[in-house]
Amino acid sequence: MPHILAVRDIVKTFSHVRAVDGISFTVQRGTITGLLGRNGAGKTTTIRMITGIFMPDSGSIEWGGAPGGGTFRDRVGYLPEERGLYKQMKVVEQLLFLAEIKGRRAAEVRPLIDRWLERFELVEKRDAKVEELSKGNQQKVQLIGTLLHDPELIILDEPQSGLDPVNMVLVRNLLRELKDEGRTILLSTHMMGEAEKMADEIILIHRGKVVLDGPLEEVRGSFGLNTLHMEFEGDGAFLETLPQVKHAAVSNNTAEIALTEGGDPQKILEAAMGQLRIRKFELAAPSLEEIFIDRVGVETLAAEEMAR
Amino acid sequence: MKKMIVVFKREYLQAVRRKMFIFMTFAFPALMAALMVIPSFLMMRGLGEKHVAILDGTGKLHDAYLHPVTRTPRTDLQRMQQRREVPQAMQFDYVDHAADPKPYLARMTQRAKDGQLDGVLIVPSDALTNPESHLKYYSRTATDFISQERLSSMTNRAVQRFRLQAHGIGPDVMNQVMTEMTLDSVQLSKTGEEQKGGSANFFVGFVLCALLILPTIVSGLDVMRGIIQEKTDRVVEVLISSVTPSQLLIGKILGTAAVGLTQISVWLVMLGGISIYGAAVISVAGINLSQFIRLQTFIYFPIFFILAFLTYVCIYAIGGAACNSDREAQQLIAPITMVMFLPWFILVVLITNPDSTLSTTFSMSPVFGPMTMYVRTLVSDPPPIQIAVSIVVSIATIALFLWVTAKIFRVGILSYGKRPTIPELWRWMKVA
Repeated sequence: MPHILAVRDIVKTFSHVRAVDGISFTVQRGTITGLLGRNGAGKTTTIRMITGIFMPDSGSIEWGGAPGGGTFRDRVGYLPEERGLYKQMKVVEQLLFLAEIKGRRAAEVRPLIDRWLERFELVEKRDAKVEELSKGNQQKVQLIGTLLHDPELIILDEPQSGLDPVNMVLVRNLLRELKDEGRTILLSTHMMGEAEKMADEIILIHRGKVVLDGPLEEVRGSFGLNTLHMEFEGDGAFLETLPQVKHAAVSNNTAEIALTEGGDPQKILEAAMGQLRIRKFELAAPSLEEIFIDRVGVETLAAEEMAR
Repeated sequence: MKKMIVVFKREYLQAVRRKMFIFMTFAFPALMAALMVIPSFLMMRGLGEKHVAILDGTGKLHDAYLHPVTRTPRTDLQRMQQRREVPQAMQFDYVDHAADPKPYLARMTQRAKDGQLDGVLIVPSDALTNPESHLKYYSRTATDFISQERLSSMTNRAVQRFRLQAHGIGPDVMNQVMTEMTLDSVQLSKTGEEQKGGSANFFVGFVLCALLILPTIVSGLDVMRGIIQEKTDRVVEVLISSVTPSQLLIGKILGTAAVGLTQISVWLVMLGGISIYGAAVISVAGINLSQFIRLQTFIYFPIFFILAFLTYVCIYAIGGAACNSDREAQQLIAPITMVMFLPWFILVVLITNPDSTLSTTFSMSPVFGPMTMYVRTLVSDPPPIQIAVSIVVSIATIALFLWVTAKIFRVGILSYGKRPTIPELWRWMKVA
């Protein structure tokens, strides 16, 4: 598959912190690629280098898009994590401006604006000033601004942060639709559950380095069926202490348990049946969250949590 | 280029549509006119009238106060002075003998407005014969220098005439002796033509420099706040992913400059309108502008105005790019502003010595150049080569400032936290 973007060994240091420490990956055309990691992993810095806001200290970023027709800058749509619009501008003027600085002509963008506003139920806010809108509506306006100039590559940094559940679904459906239209999306998020629902490819980064990457299904498959999803009645706290359990996330009436290498699910079931009423017992591929914890190591994460 | 125009357009339209801009553009000249007209108006209505009692011990000076000989104005300056003098009338109670001052002094402090005195002047009876004698003036305000000066000169002129007369000098000779000469100022230019109106150029220089500085400060602060606003609103991240920092900055600065120029054009048009309509404002000031302004003024004013404007606004832009809040930026920029407006503070020196080494050096140096050279073209005739050097130096300065700002901008734009120090700024410039 042809790639639209290739990031090669980029490094960025701020005073003494290596925010990005030799990250490489490619984004394949027509996919949704999830750039995953916790807050402070280096996702935003990576994206800022891709969008030309920062220059990498070393390494390179190659654009593999179709030649001709505007610069790389013009063919990327970027939704920053730190949202920002001119507060004093009217919605429609703001959107026109955002499209025009991407090299589009006002006349060709105007009809598109109306279509987008309709889709996001913002038609009556067309002439309102941005500062008069609710936070959610401001987000929508910014998202329209990201897509309005018909970009080949759409880069979204935490697109769902600050959205209510209804709008989260709206965004999720929109991204799928954009993908079906053949567009390429690079999605940066710390919400691994969301990424799991949308991404074709994932890049997992931690402390400025890629810890895992590849197609989502392959990544999950390579971990095998070593995860138990349980639902039960009773106090499941003891599950964490069982032999053959690598680590377990136990909450009220549910548990997600990672088994040790060669661990036998049957043994867990036997132990559990003694103390709990089992409602569901499922052997599954691990979630991204589980994979992430497995890769980075639960001790490291705990130590980092303490240091925060 | 296209994107720069987009930024320019946004900047211009947003600023011009603001209510504050519209208000300032139309209300400011009215305000200035009011400041010029109202005091003269009030003086003419006699608000400044003084009621003074003269106790003349000599008994001979009656005519000096009740029929004073006025000088015919010879120069614009004198005409202006008289305009200021005449409306501020004085009313005299003349007593032709050395009366007891006590009842008059009491009238100064009485409550009733009717018959109240503002001052009492005592002329001693030996005034005409004794050179050692003194005039004595009582008033409630010791700071009224204008009245004191006028009373002193009126009395002395009359006393001088009597003293001359005592030495047997007739009225014809006396008039010849007492008549002052007028100094006519003529400016000689390189081409040899004579130009009158040096004193008017002096004032015009001040007015036009003020007209340059005020919009510059307003626009400079606008650019600075605009840049900081973009940072605090986080718009800047979207902008910089779409346009280069230079495109953004040049667009912004030129956009703001266009706003300032629009405002000044409106003011000049209004001023023109006013002077055509009977010249209310101008005639009060006592200057007929059109008679004295030289043709070069209209050519050099826009050129040096734009150069000075861009130089100064760029300095404000650097402040905006380096700081994260208005307050920080003000602190950083305040001392710099003092230095960059240095020509304004020494304007009198520059205008009175337009071809001195100091003026020449200033007019061809960066930052100070445009304003100083502008003043020189107004009051003198600097060699074309110096004018050319000044223009080239200014353009280079502006280009350098834009480059520096763009560098600082790229690093400063997304770094939040405390204001950078000068060495840090230097480092930013090198890494960007």
